[in-house]
Amino acid sequence: MQTSFTPDQLRDPAITAADEILRKCVHCGFCTATCPTYVLLGDENDSPRGRIYLIKDMLENDRPASDAVTRHVDRCLSCLSCMTTCPSGVNYMHLVDVGRQRIARTGRRSAADRLLRWLLARVLPSPERFRLALLGARMARPFAAFLPGRLKALVKLVPPAARTAILEPRVFPAEGVRRRRVALLAGCVQQVLDAEINAATIRLLTKHGCEVVVAEGAGCCGALAYHLGREEEALAGVRSNVRAWIRERTARGLDAIVINASGCGTMVKDYGFLLRNDPELAPGAAEVSALARDVTEVLAAVGLKAAVAGAGTTVAYHDACSLQHGQGVREAPRLLLQGAGFEVRDVPEGHLCCGSAGTYNILQPELATRLRDRKAANVDGVGADVVAAGNIGCILQLAPAIGRPLVHTVQLLDWATGGPRPRVLDQANWLN
Amino acid sequence: MGDPLIATDEASARDAIGWAVSEKTPIEIMGGGTKRALGRPIQVARGLSLAGLSGIEDYEPSELVMTAWAGTSLAEIEATLAANGQRLAFEPPDYRALLGGAADGATIGAVFSCNLAGPRRTAAGAARDHLLGIRGVNGRGEIFKAGGRVVKNVTGFDLCKLVAGSFGTLAALTQVTFRVFPIPEAEATVLVIGLLEQDAVAVMIEGAQSPHEVSGAAHLPAGIAALSGVSAVGGAGRAVTALRVEGPAPSVVHRVAALRRCFAPLGEIEVLEAEGSQAFWREVRDVTPFAGDSRLVWRLAVPPAGGAAVVAEVGRRIEAEAILDRGGGCVWLATAQKAEEAAGAVRDAAATVGGSATLIRAPEAVRSHADVFPPLAAGLRDLTARVKRAFDPLGLLNPGRMYAGL
Amino acid sequence: MPRVVIPVRCVKTDMRMPVPDTPTIARRQQIVGALRRIVPDGVIADEAAMRPYECDGLAVYRQIPLVVVLPSTVEQVSAILRYCNANNVKIVPRGAGTSLSGGALPLADAVTIGLGRFNRILEIDWDNRCVVAQPGVTNLAITNAVQHRGFYYAPDPSSQIACSIGGNVAENAGGVHCLKYGLTTNNVLGLQIVLPDGEVVRVGGRHQPEGEGYDLMGLLTGSEGLLGIVTEVTVRILRKPETVRAMLMGFASNEAAGDAVAAIIGAGVVPAGLEMMDRLAIHAAEEFVHAGYPLDVEALLIAELDGPQAEVDYLVERVAAIAARCGAACVRVSASEDERLRFWAGRKAAFPAVGRISPDYLCMDGTIPRRRLAEVLARIRALSEKHGLRVANVFHAGDGNLHPLILFDANRPGELERAEEFGADILRLCVEVGGVLTGEHGVGVEKRDLMPVMFDEVDLEQQQRVKCAFDAGGLLNPGKVFPTLHNCAEMGRLRVSGGQLPFPDLPRF
Ligand SMILES: Cc1cc2nc3c(=O)[nH]c(=O)nc-3n(C[C@H](O)[C@H](O)[C@H](O)COP(=O)(O)OP(=O)(O)OC[C@H]3O[C@@H](n4cnc5c(N)ncnc54)[C@H](O)[C@@H]3O)c2cc1C
Ligand code: SF4
Ligand code: SF4
Repeated sequence: MQTSFTPDQLRDPAITAADEILRKCVHCGFCTATCPTYVLLGDENDSPRGRIYLIKDMLENDRPASDAVTRHVDRCLSCLSCMTTCPSGVNYMHLVDVGRQRIARTGRRSAADRLLRWLLARVLPSPERFRLALLGARMARPFAAFLPGRLKALVKLVPPAARTAILEPRVFPAEGVRRRRVALLAGCVQQVLDAEINAATIRLLTKHGCEVVVAEGAGCCGALAYHLGREEEALAGVRSNVRAWIRERTARGLDAIVINASGCGTMVKDYGFLLRNDPELAPGAAEVSALARDVTEVLAAVGLKAAVAGAGTTVAYHDACSLQHGQGVREAPRLLLQGAGFEVRDVPEGHLCCGSAGTYNILQPELATRLRDRKAANVDGVGADVVAAGNIGCILQLAPAIGRPLVHTVQLLDWATGGPRPRVLDQANWLN
Repeated sequence: MGDPLIATDEASARDAIGWAVSEKTPIEIMGGGTKRALGRPIQVARGLSLAGLSGIEDYEPSELVMTAWAGTSLAEIEATLAANGQRLAFEPPDYRALLGGAADGATIGAVFSCNLAGPRRTAAGAARDHLLGIRGVNGRGEIFKAGGRVVKNVTGFDLCKLVAGSFGTLAALTQVTFRVFPIPEAEATVLVIGLLEQDAVAVMIEGAQSPHEVSGAAHLPAGIAALSGVSAVGGAGRAVTALRVEGPAPSVVHRVAALRRCFAPLGEIEVLEAEGSQAFWREVRDVTPFAGDSRLVWRLAVPPAGGAAVVAEVGRRIEAEAILDRGGGCVWLATAQKAEEAAGAVRDAAATVGGSATLIRAPEAVRSHADVFPPLAAGLRDLTARVKRAFDPLGLLNPGRMYAGL
Repeated sequence: MPRVVIPVRCVKTDMRMPVPDTPTIARRQQIVGALRRIVPDGVIADEAAMRPYECDGLAVYRQIPLVVVLPSTVEQVSAILRYCNANNVKIVPRGAGTSLSGGALPLADAVTIGLGRFNRILEIDWDNRCVVAQPGVTNLAITNAVQHRGFYYAPDPSSQIACSIGGNVAENAGGVHCLKYGLTTNNVLGLQIVLPDGEVVRVGGRHQPEGEGYDLMGLLTGSEGLLGIVTEVTVRILRKPETVRAMLMGFASNEAAGDAVAAIIGAGVVPAGLEMMDRLAIHAAEEFVHAGYPLDVEALLIAELDGPQAEVDYLVERVAAIAARCGAACVRVSASEDERLRFWAGRKAAFPAVGRISPDYLCMDGTIPRRRLAEVLARIRALSEKHGLRVANVFHAGDGNLHPLILFDANRPGELERAEEFGADILRLCVEVGGVLTGEHGVGVEKRDLMPVMFDEVDLEQQQRVKCAFDAGGLLNPGKVFPTLHNCAEMGRLRVSGGQLPFPDLPRF
């Protein structure tokens, strides 16, 4: 596509990157129909091609973000379905981040909106702060009906009794011969909301010969803040993670950095790009990205032990967007589950997002709910015993709407290979 | 009517219509005249025959396309194609026996003007689906062309479609370009004997929903089957439901076996091979069973699943004999009643499933008073008149052939 | 009388559109208000939010519309058209905006009606083998809705993932399977249309219509949004064949591949699809889908054969033998359904995949007689040198429907103009060898000014009179398809010479 940036504008590396991306887009429109918001709203502005256009217009003309661009980019889930679809290789993810930062700097938002965003960016990435907030929210839950829209959405998302435990830095030795040494990204929101996932991941990895280390100094991946347009805050976290893992790697060696929340995985795999202009950390960041793996990718590489439980259970596998679109991981989890004896079923409209999308369900509750209900109907239509997904966000989002238990893929794999049977399988209403 | 003006080339056809324009005198456009009994009779002083405008203009078998002047006889075209292992896939019918009248064969221009099709329509479409390009003279006396000479073309409005099935009311076609197809290596027809109409339609639906590419599906009740010259059909003594497959020999063998397996539990199965199959489908195509008498003959176009219901519905009101063709989507009815009574029963029945009925055979007196074609819905009547005027502002070409006053 | 025309605000210098009507633009507030009353939650009047509507899949022509409206019911569409008709406001319909001919290019004084909200499938009628869908449903969604029972919708434009069925009807879209199964026009059974005056009419139904008056359905299909707005479409669906296999055949030259195409068709084989790609296109597509295309050949043919196993085996062998005789460097047959789909995925994504090797491209769409294939490809190569622009070829070889993709860089001054000249040369060449300007993408604005290469004044007037029969005010999608706009009343006038039979040799009695 034609662009018109001045040489002056192109001195800004963000603009150079945006220009390169924009030039790749041939305006074919293939991406529109696989975009969840276009499917719901039928407005070109709510399609990837429309957003690309809106962002292009804003950047080319050095305009402050108009209400239109803010409204429509805010509605974007960052599900990256458009990137899977795009034959031309347009990196929408990087473009929309440039757009979001410009909007954060120049857009007009209501005070309430700004406050909510600030709160999310401050609280979620810190497990301690989040746990405190949760306590508050849990107390607020009975009063949810009286809260205004988006705050209500936030409070309602909090499960009434989450199994919280914060992972401290330490090493979990491999069982038997050590075949790999991997760092686990402990995560922020996930470990507070469901500690079972990390526990299962560690059991699974160690029994397959992986030594797991939770590196000193590594924390939240930075995605939440970054996608809220708070670049500096996010990059500070990114830098300390890069330092922590490089330190660990240099000291004791690392074969992979394992991530079991795919939203974080997409982010870590992008560190190399994010810090490409950082004179000190660019090479380290690239190295970290090259080491980053979803937990299922690592397991697929080491091979799964023979299954001892769970055989014949039907599993509806829900593709988390960050896993299928963000990282292009579609086969590994399916093959692992099949290999472990589960009967895996695909969910129709699998490419459409469930509406969780980081903080989306809090910021855009109406659209998020429509997507959730659509997804839930598709998942329930499959009629499986249990639903598996590779991302905590999806699990939390779908739980209240789906008539069957939801677990993280690793929980099923752990169970099949000798770990405990996921508790939710035995609960009629798994939330309580 | 005086003797017709005879066009020998495109320019003389134009001049003839140009003269009609200047005289403001209506004119009847004729090909071989085999289908003059189709549609409403025309009362005009002068005819224009295009039968002399004949000859194949361009034919390159590997292009799967032929261009011919409108007056070329269908027989010549079919013979030329056959010599090259090709054919018109839409199976144009020959209604000479059904309608009586002209002994000369049909012209290719008329085949397209009347948009005729045979039993293969479900699989291969009607004449309209094969017409790629036209030249013709409109009602202003101008020569115009539309479409092209290649198989795929969306340059400008598809006037070919409009002209196909317009019965010469929009333009006198002078030249047509159309698709042709290779004749399949083999064909065969599976007969299921002794089914009731409702079951026959179910069988035909199943055939059509199967992956066996059924290219003809018809049902003849016992009385009609008995008239067939094909011995396996004529001698069946019961109703016959027929499913045709065509293609490379091994494929036909395979599909016949599959259909046989599928329908054997429902009735006795017979298989017609090459010539037997061809002869049978010619009878269906030309509606031969209704040829010998003087009843009114109707052709209903309905959603295929509604075929049997329509026949039953008509049967509740009047006496009628029915042939189901195209998997139930085309119902041929012969009725003995007075035209108005029959028309009411037939048209109401077709309407119950969202279909329509055309009066194909009736004495001239009936056709000049009754509706021959299904009456147009209110919203479409004005539009149709405007389209007619867009080609023929003075209403000179075949006036009243399709609708009174148009 | 040709109306005066002026340039659109677009890159192209000589693309002229009808002069925007200043009084209409002056009434904008009033029009926006009226539309808001009809569709309270679906009017886009803000300039920034209208910008994404300024073009379709042909992004070199751009124009911000007067206003955009997104109705979601037929009643709303009808009310909008009634209002516009009564107030002399122009209208441009828009489906998914993937047109490659600028069919949905807005006008400064026209309302753009987006049909994106009409995205529901209304009914699947298995017994009658048809699907009733709203016009905004994507082509692929129809197949997706019926494939669990073994059915599919045959016309499959490469853009099927995104283009709307209403847009397919408007453009009479084709696809890789049209060789055997026909274009949109051969697969539509019924339409609901809103006429320019707001009247809602139905043509066809769930049966193959016969003798039901003029074939308005056939006329509307391919009418590029100039005759009415399609608000409901009934299409027939087909049963999936028992076996489907795709073959890849690589050749050392375009000529050899072209000969193979002629030989296959000439042998009486009608494959379900027969497509060709040249080196540039092969490489671009392979990079996106990793289909396993051979990278060391100049031309690649993809053939699909379907039917019972026995038939497919037999045909695969015959086609492979023909290819070998024509000098194929390699032949590969898909071994699984996955592999077959991968063979096609590359072909279907080939246009946009070219975006990987060039920032911009223009896609041509001429159709030629198959026997001229090799010759035309050679001449296109010569033209490519003359104009100094690369060209990638991806096309429906079985139909003779070419899609030369002219690669250029719109950021470089003068390249677009050169690309356009190159394109026009290619299309003239197609007509010269007996072909046509467009096989499936439509005339739109892109080929509008080339119409006289194919049609003379009388031909074009005849088409325009048909337009007048539907839209006497010329309000629906003006400036598309026809190079000059004529006034309906004027065109309707009859020029009668008067007098006697004007020639002596016509027998008179
Ligand atoms: C990469 C790519 C590949 C393509 N491949 C093919 C191909 O293989 N075969 C092919 O045929 N085409 C192809 N196309 C072209 C395009 O996809 C088709 O023309 C398609 O039918 C357009 O549909 P749309 O919904 O996008 O319509 P739009 O682009 O929105 O509109 C197209 C035209 O239709 C009119 N229109 C749209 N909807 C309606 C309606 N409901 N009622 C009345 N008028 C309406 C518009 O006014 C306009 O004139 C391709 C396009 C791209 C970008
Ligand atoms: S990231 Fe998802 S929501 Fe955003 S534009 Fe792409 S497909 Fe649409
Ligand atoms: S699919 Fe890619 S090239 Fe096509 S419009 Fe979307 S982003 Fe642009």
